[in-house]
Amino acid sequence: MTEKPSQPALEFAGVSKTFDPADARPAVSNIDFALPQGMFISLLGPSGCGKTTLLRLADGLIAPDSGTIAAFGAPPRPGPEIGFVFQSFRLIPWASVAANVEFSLRSLPLSKAERTERALHWLEKVGLSRFAQSWPDTLSGGMKQRVALARAFAPNPSLLLMDEPFASLDAQTRELMQAELLSLWSEQKASVLFVTHSVDEALLLSDTILLMGTRPGRIVETLTVDLERPRDPDAIRADTRFIALRQHLSKKMRELVLSDPQSDFYGR
Amino acid sequence: MTALYRLAFLFLLILGWFIASQFIGRNIIPTPLATLQAGARLFSEGRLLEATGQSLAVFLSGFFLATFVAIPLGAMMGAIRPFGKTLDVYVFALAATPRVAFIPLVIVLLGLGIEAKAFIVFLGAVMPILINTYAGVLAADKELVEMARSTGAPQTRIFSHIVLPGALPFVAVGLRIGATIGLINTVVAELYTAVTGLGGLLALYGNTFRMAEYFVIVICLAIIGVVMTEILRFIESRLGRWKMS
Repeated sequence: MTEKPSQPALEFAGVSKTFDPADARPAVSNIDFALPQGMFISLLGPSGCGKTTLLRLADGLIAPDSGTIAAFGAPPRPGPEIGFVFQSFRLIPWASVAANVEFSLRSLPLSKAERTERALHWLEKVGLSRFAQSWPDTLSGGMKQRVALARAFAPNPSLLLMDEPFASLDAQTRELMQAELLSLWSEQKASVLFVTHSVDEALLLSDTILLMGTRPGRIVETLTVDLERPRDPDAIRADTRFIALRQHLSKKMRELVLSDPQSDFYGR
Repeated sequence: MTALYRLAFLFLLILGWFIASQFIGRNIIPTPLATLQAGARLFSEGRLLEATGQSLAVFLSGFFLATFVAIPLGAMMGAIRPFGKTLDVYVFALAATPRVAFIPLVIVLLGLGIEAKAFIVFLGAVMPILINTYAGVLAADKELVEMARSTGAPQTRIFSHIVLPGALPFVAVGLRIGATIGLINTVVAELYTAVTGLGGLLALYGNTFRMAEYFVIVICLAIIGVVMTEILRFIESRLGRWKMS
């Protein structure tokens, strides 16, 4: 992968994807955006707007029906250059915590000893070295997602795709995980495409927010989050710019849900 | 505590057996003591060990052959979908056919020796192992497979690290059912072909109304069955030690 600094980490141009040929409406339609290198972009939108589909397209797990996708100038291919963090953690239950982190390193030309060393280094970074030999099912949800973060960061990906990684965690754990992610990201400087349906989370983490609407999944608004980093969660929530953006996005999100014929709240 | 209850239940069983022997007639149901004495006699004459050895040789060779054929074949049927879809109808049809129906054919083809007997055991054990392995591979966790794909894992690594380990609980169930049917078929084979082993002694003592000796053989077969399934259960729990209880 050749990386010219000017080249975006990820670029979608006119991308559409339909899963069900009987359904006239595509899952996502005419998606255009660019993720500049080192930036943190969030896809924000109600459920069913095709956010996850965009991530799977961005990883090359599925191919678009039309349009082009480029990761650092080439069509994306699943591999160590692109990390993926899933909402449901997806740890291998019969492999130890360390072996789970090592799994993503198997696609790199590393010896067994190098793999183990790198995995332990990343477990230490997320504060879980004590649990290296534990089974994943003995860990709490927050710990499992930290293992998944270590697994995604370990191969030093230039692009990270995150699919509502903290949605299944309780509120306190989620805040700590957001801080954890920001500190890992500030060291790593990978480009991040982050999917969420939480307005607060998107504002706290991102440089740019792409607001998505449903049926078909499309980008309805692009918003720059003009808040300096590092961002302290408590200070930022009191910031007037944060409050204004939050009000705007929450209102927009509500409108999107109410205008969706498939929503429970349609026409109310 | 469980062990204590189990011992107490065993005592109840032997008590019931003793009462039955008193009421039904000793020539039909021998007393536990007479059975024990017959067992000691058969053991000291060496006949019991010889017959057990013959039966185990038949059972184990048939069962291991079934394992070595069924696991790779079932895994391949699950991994290569067109292959699996082509074969599975026939596999299910064969599994539904009573395998005892093949015994005359097996005798014609392989004779009456250990080859024929082991093959009859093989026929009984192979289907449950095959069908369960196939089902286990098909039940692979789609989310884990996608996670593995996202790391750039090739198909071979996805299969060896995700699909196959995920299928192991299914394979273990198949092995246990296969072992049980295999043991039944061991006795059936020994009754239908050249009369040897525990099945042979069963026929001999049953036909000559030597009920004490007959009971010894029945108990022997039960013990082999228990030991076999316990070994498989132990392997199963070792493989599944990552599971939360």
